[in-house]
Amino acid sequence: MTIMGPGAPDRPSGSGLRVGLVGAGFIGETHLAAWRSEGIDVIVFDVDPARSSSLAETFGATVAPTIQALFAATDAVDICTPTHLHASVAIAAAHAGRHVICEKPLARTLADGEAMLAAARHAGVRLLVGQVVRFYPEYAAARQAVIAGAIGDPAVLRLTRASSRPRQPADHWFFDHARSGGIVLDLMIHDLDFARWVAGEVVSVTCRSAAFERPDAGVDHAVAILRHASGAISHVSASWAYAPPTFRTAFEIAGSRGLIEQDSDRTAPIERSLQDSGASGRATSLAEGAISGDPFRLELAEFARAIEANAEPRTDGGDALETLRLALAADQSAQSFGQTIRLEAGVGS
Amino acid sequence: MTAAQARRRVRIGVLSTEHMHAASYIRLLAKMPGVELIGIWDADPARTGAAAKLAGTRALPTADDLLGMVDGVVIASTNADHRELTERAAAAGVDVLCDKPLATTVADAEAMVAACDRAGVRLMTAFPMRFSPVIRSLESSVRSGVLGSVVCLEGVNTGRMPDTLAPWFVDPALSGGGALMDHVVHLADLYRWILRDEVVAVYAVANRILQERFDLVETGGLVMLRFAGGVFATIDCSWSKPRSYPTWGGLSIDAIGTAGVIRADAFRQRLAVYGGPGASVAWPSWGPDEDQGTLDEFVAAVSQRRPPTVSGVDGLRAVEVVAAAYRSIETGAPVRLAT
Repeated sequence: MTIMGPGAPDRPSGSGLRVGLVGAGFIGETHLAAWRSEGIDVIVFDVDPARSSSLAETFGATVAPTIQALFAATDAVDICTPTHLHASVAIAAAHAGRHVICEKPLARTLADGEAMLAAARHAGVRLLVGQVVRFYPEYAAARQAVIAGAIGDPAVLRLTRASSRPRQPADHWFFDHARSGGIVLDLMIHDLDFARWVAGEVVSVTCRSAAFERPDAGVDHAVAILRHASGAISHVSASWAYAPPTFRTAFEIAGSRGLIEQDSDRTAPIERSLQDSGASGRATSLAEGAISGDPFRLELAEFARAIEANAEPRTDGGDALETLRLALAADQSAQSFGQTIRLEAGVGS
Repeated sequence: MTAAQARRRVRIGVLSTEHMHAASYIRLLAKMPGVELIGIWDADPARTGAAAKLAGTRALPTADDLLGMVDGVVIASTNADHRELTERAAAAGVDVLCDKPLATTVADAEAMVAACDRAGVRLMTAFPMRFSPVIRSLESSVRSGVLGSVVCLEGVNTGRMPDTLAPWFVDPALSGGGALMDHVVHLADLYRWILRDEVVAVYAVANRILQERFDLVETGGLVMLRFAGGVFATIDCSWSKPRSYPTWGGLSIDAIGTAGVIRADAFRQRLAVYGGPGASVAWPSWGPDEDQGTLDEFVAAVSQRRPPTVSGVDGLRAVEVVAAAYRSIETGAPVRLAT
């Protein structure tokens, strides 16, 4: 039997859920590792068969020759493709009657996201989106403290995600705004989602990004200011301008009666100082704050319970659509050099 | 300058002790070798007497009495009184070091700059963070080009609500506003100095939720600036530290450039003390005293008859940013500044 960490669910390993993973890139590998740690069988498909074979071999998964074969052999499809392809895979999976798990962001466009929700609703399947920050123990604990009234009403949030530029070739889809949505849709969206989770719906966003202000600069860094319907205000910062191997996350939630501070620089439980530090195989760094529970395992285990036991997950497709709406508004603001974009109905309402 | 002039100690007075910085100024002035602390005036004689006694100096009955005896004055009044006291000093031909913000309105700040220009006296704005070795190190790193070209500055200047130190801080008639008026000028000035550039657009939001929903002035605020050269910058100016926080607050700047990032925290040099009086944890600073640098520069400018490195116009520019921030809060949209 699989030995589970303290964050693992009390579900026995090797439950009947069959997961089909589409996209054997960086996040696909992360998800596959988490699924396998949960003792769940996975079948992998990628347009590049060499990549799916290699990944499947590493983690003890099987390979599907076509995406239709993957649909035929699974209960749920976990979409880890480039962002602009989420919608077509999700809609096909829903049409095949498969539950859909999708990496964030939900989709590249609002129309795509809405079509995904409609397809899932029509097929009567779950649509679950990996807004993984909600599963990071420090973020979940902070939100719990806010809900418990520890700091009164949230007033000023400052959320920071600081990283080096992902180590990918310049022509990688990740750096193509048309396919990925750039730093706002890929990186800032984590904290935009967390801001909504803690302080509620957003009524306006004002954002600037180096990608638009300074396209010559060769670095990306974006900052957004949000106004929430509750009266709270948020400062959200996302950076790919740091030297590798930086991955720092920090937040401050100031409320009417108190203040919560968290900084991954100060809470990393292990610090390594290795003489030979040259060999790091991973292309994108992820926060290493997860000793008390791997957020990807927590996320995917919760999604599995939602599918198998109809348990209510902490975030779903509808939630992810509102976060996408906010992120697209932030991106629109950045493209218009800091014009304030109003979300009239209020995101999350 | 003759040798005799160089030897003569600069005669300094303090006008008003309503700002809590006054105590620090008086303490430092009293022991500066090149300074003769002539005396103190405050509208409240009881307050004047106490402060004078503490520093072993005189309490003067009127501001004009003091102005007749000094080369320069340090104005540490409420924000709203800066203009009147500065104009009286200018009329008396006395150089001025005025606390920040220079004024509560752009019109007042302009009038102060004009009055000092007309009178031919020096006007320095007290921006002590210009003299922080931490911030100076950041500034010289940026100037040296190690960051490549700067794309963004993110600054945090948050603190406790200062009403317990001086109640007028939360009376808009005397302070001109809350957290924005109190804190935005520091980072706005530092950004202008670090970038050698001017602000062209200001966006700001504010609320009154912090500090038990204290509602006489705004207690929370976020500001986004754009500089003429394309750099964008943000300021968190909130009074977001609870009364139980281990220190008054702080000031930090993250400078993001094409060649990397420098993070500068001006108040990170501190101890953590547990079990001391008053609080379960305290973070006393062992870092430098920025007020000393401010006073040194003012005294040097007066003594050497040269312009101070931080001017009245610097104070005016920062007030323009704050005024634009308040306008932005009203309109809900970015406000353009004339360049």
